[in-house]
Amino acid sequence: MTTTPARPAKTSTTSGTSGGGAARTAAPSGRASGPSRAAPPERRRSGLVTFVRGRWLGTIPGRIRTYVALALVAAGALAAVLGIAIGDARDSVRTIGRDAGPQVVATGSLYFALSDMDAQVANILLIGREHGLGIGYDESQRVYRQRRDEAGAAAVQAAQLAGRDPHLRQRVQAVLTGLGRYEQLAGEAMLLDRQADHAAGEPPRQVVETYRQATDLMKLELLPQAYNLTLDSGASVRQTYETKRSAVLDGRTWVAVTGVLLLAVLLAAQLYLARGFRRLVNPGLALATVATAALVVAGLGELSAQADHIRKAKLNGFDSVLTLSRARAISHSAFADESRYLLDPDKADTYEQTYFDKLLSVLYTSLDGKPVNLDNYYTAFDRTVGAYLSGRSGTSFLGFFGDERRTARPGSEEASLKRTLRAYGAVIDNDQSVRRLAAGGDRAGAIALRMDRGKAIHDFDAYDAALRSLTATHQAAFDGAIKAADDGLDGWTVLPPAAAVVIAALTIAGVRPRLAEFR
Amino acid sequence: MRTTPATPAPRAISAPRATLTTPASRDTRAISATRGIPAGRASRSACGRAAGAAGALPVLAAVLAASAGCGIGGGDGSSVADKRSLVIGVKADQPGLGLKGPNGAYDGFDVQVATYVAGRLGVPRDRIRFRTTPSSERERALARGDVDLIFATYSITATRKQQVTFGGPYYVPHQDTLVRADEGSIKNVRDLKGRRICAVTGSNSWRRVIEERKVAATPVQAATYGQCMDKLAANQLDAVSTDDVILAGFAAGRERFRIVNAPFTDEKYGVGIKKGDLKGCEAVNRAITEMYQDGQAQRFLERWFQRSGLKLTTSVPQFEGCS
Repeated sequence: MTTTPARPAKTSTTSGTSGGGAARTAAPSGRASGPSRAAPPERRRSGLVTFVRGRWLGTIPGRIRTYVALALVAAGALAAVLGIAIGDARDSVRTIGRDAGPQVVATGSLYFALSDMDAQVANILLIGREHGLGIGYDESQRVYRQRRDEAGAAAVQAAQLAGRDPHLRQRVQAVLTGLGRYEQLAGEAMLLDRQADHAAGEPPRQVVETYRQATDLMKLELLPQAYNLTLDSGASVRQTYETKRSAVLDGRTWVAVTGVLLLAVLLAAQLYLARGFRRLVNPGLALATVATAALVVAGLGELSAQADHIRKAKLNGFDSVLTLSRARAISHSAFADESRYLLDPDKADTYEQTYFDKLLSVLYTSLDGKPVNLDNYYTAFDRTVGAYLSGRSGTSFLGFFGDERRTARPGSEEASLKRTLRAYGAVIDNDQSVRRLAAGGDRAGAIALRMDRGKAIHDFDAYDAALRSLTATHQAAFDGAIKAADDGLDGWTVLPPAAAVVIAALTIAGVRPRLAEFR
Repeated sequence: MRTTPATPAPRAISAPRATLTTPASRDTRAISATRGIPAGRASRSACGRAAGAAGALPVLAAVLAASAGCGIGGGDGSSVADKRSLVIGVKADQPGLGLKGPNGAYDGFDVQVATYVAGRLGVPRDRIRFRTTPSSERERALARGDVDLIFATYSITATRKQQVTFGGPYYVPHQDTLVRADEGSIKNVRDLKGRRICAVTGSNSWRRVIEERKVAATPVQAATYGQCMDKLAANQLDAVSTDDVILAGFAAGRERFRIVNAPFTDEKYGVGIKKGDLKGCEAVNRAITEMYQDGQAQRFLERWFQRSGLKLTTSVPQFEGCS
């Protein structure tokens, strides 16, 4: 960018009013500049000497040029800091809105589809030849195939979203490879199961052992991989949010600082010209000042709005979507642990412990010093959730639903959370009944209840639907904030440099006639 | 065996202070762009430097700081991801996991994993100090800042999560039971009814038997698992029920003890981090993911537990999530 104003072509004085201006020097130095300029033979040499000695600063045109140069530098800096801050806002919207947000949804669906595939297999093996139990053999088969297709589609989408990141793509690919192996083992278990033609809840050893290989592969490899991908998206959003949002806010400060600087230079130039040339207002400089003020105000407003959109997208949208998709993933896997607990008595203790562990991460409540076991948890759960639902204050719980409770806003979000917890309570009650029957030796009764479409399955589906609708509320808040941020950013790529050019042009245009008086 | 992973020399830190502003910030971006290598601390120090050296020119400082991706909220400086050296809490008395040798050096699976993870966080072996952290001390040691990280057979539980941020788990062992070789009547956890089991202070294992499984065993207090073994040998108790990897370490080379091989839980060995250090937790999780991807996890597991006959899982565990 040039810092020297364009040389005026005209040599004659154009204005009579400021005829005496040449004799006036605003600076007290009193160094005569006119004479040196008036001597053509020595002009170049002495001009250089004056420049080196800094004498040009003392001349009126030198002063004016200094103001112009300062204004141009400040305008450039303003455009630069504004451009960088807008760039930071754009980065965070891209990361949070277009990569990580959809990635959480895609990997969440992947986890759900995988975990439900395994749950369907467990159900098929559990009911054996009694094809009418639960949702039925044919329906389980159909759901199994549907979930397999969904898992494949979700993995493809996750791989696409991973886009530029080869490590992430590789990890998604690993899930797909594992899925192939899983299908083979699950298919084998289901084939053996058909051949065995056993009564409900009494699968032969061979079937259970083949299923164990399949479910271990799912539990130890595929599900962790899918779940960790979801967590990764959460981590990248948290990092982007922390660094980029504060960069936007810092940028806002710098826009204010450079903006004030530019305004100060323009006003000082205005005053200088007004005093030096006895003019009230220099129209060029005045317009440049107005343009600067407008740019700074618009820029500050835009950056504040962006910081706010990013905050809303993260805190009211993304965080809850992430928490609730984890809650959904863990709940489904816990529900499947309940079937496995019935299916594989040898490992029932482990399935019960992992089930309990999952309940605690979904909703943790203090057991008041009582021994940490499932029975005491049922009691504490009923008390805590009951108190929350009836609106009593002072009840506290942690875990995913505890996090959600802290962020849910009064109104539709809170009402939706309460609906979800009420539905979840029914699921927990059913589990308690199933376990009580199984522990009392009534395995058939336990299986019948677990497979009851009007009770256990119905209640779980209702819980799942409530959870999804709660997630959708937050998803809408997220989408809204991202869209607002996106819309706000429209046009802000060209605006800062274009505005800087306009401000520079107005400044130069404003002083040019004054400089011309010295030619 | 190479135990320390190749890590980039922390360039931004060793570079002379306040000499290179623009190159340093470029450097930082280059490091940050490489996924998985902890760039946190490099970028932080470079951020400060860029801003400091350009302090005379506020605008330039802003531009530099912004272009280097620095932000005030980027970290509060106390994250383990930003530390130059680390104090790591480990066990000193658990063969195969964390054992302090006669020369004062620690070794075991936990120690090796800790060394690997620290390397991924940019801290080479010579800047790690290991420190013995018994089960009962773990939460306090983290809260007080006596240790930065804990790799000490530290199971993630909902209760502990209220006081500690857990990275990982880096491994999922299972609770099993160790008995004297001549003991024939204990075949699974339910057979512990009426028997004396070891209850180590601060450990969760005996509660899993007595409280969670509701098996009416008699707890016998001990300070460490080493003491449990002595008491088991001396017939002062009948069984030690805890994680299979711990039992495997004690059973190795001892004819007198036998693992009954009836696992009944999934434990989660987490990395204890000071509560709230999410940045450090995420960095630890990335390191663990890499440890499984590059095959080192499998090598560590095989080195310490293959002979025990335990069924080892060599794929990355499902993480707890940083909170």
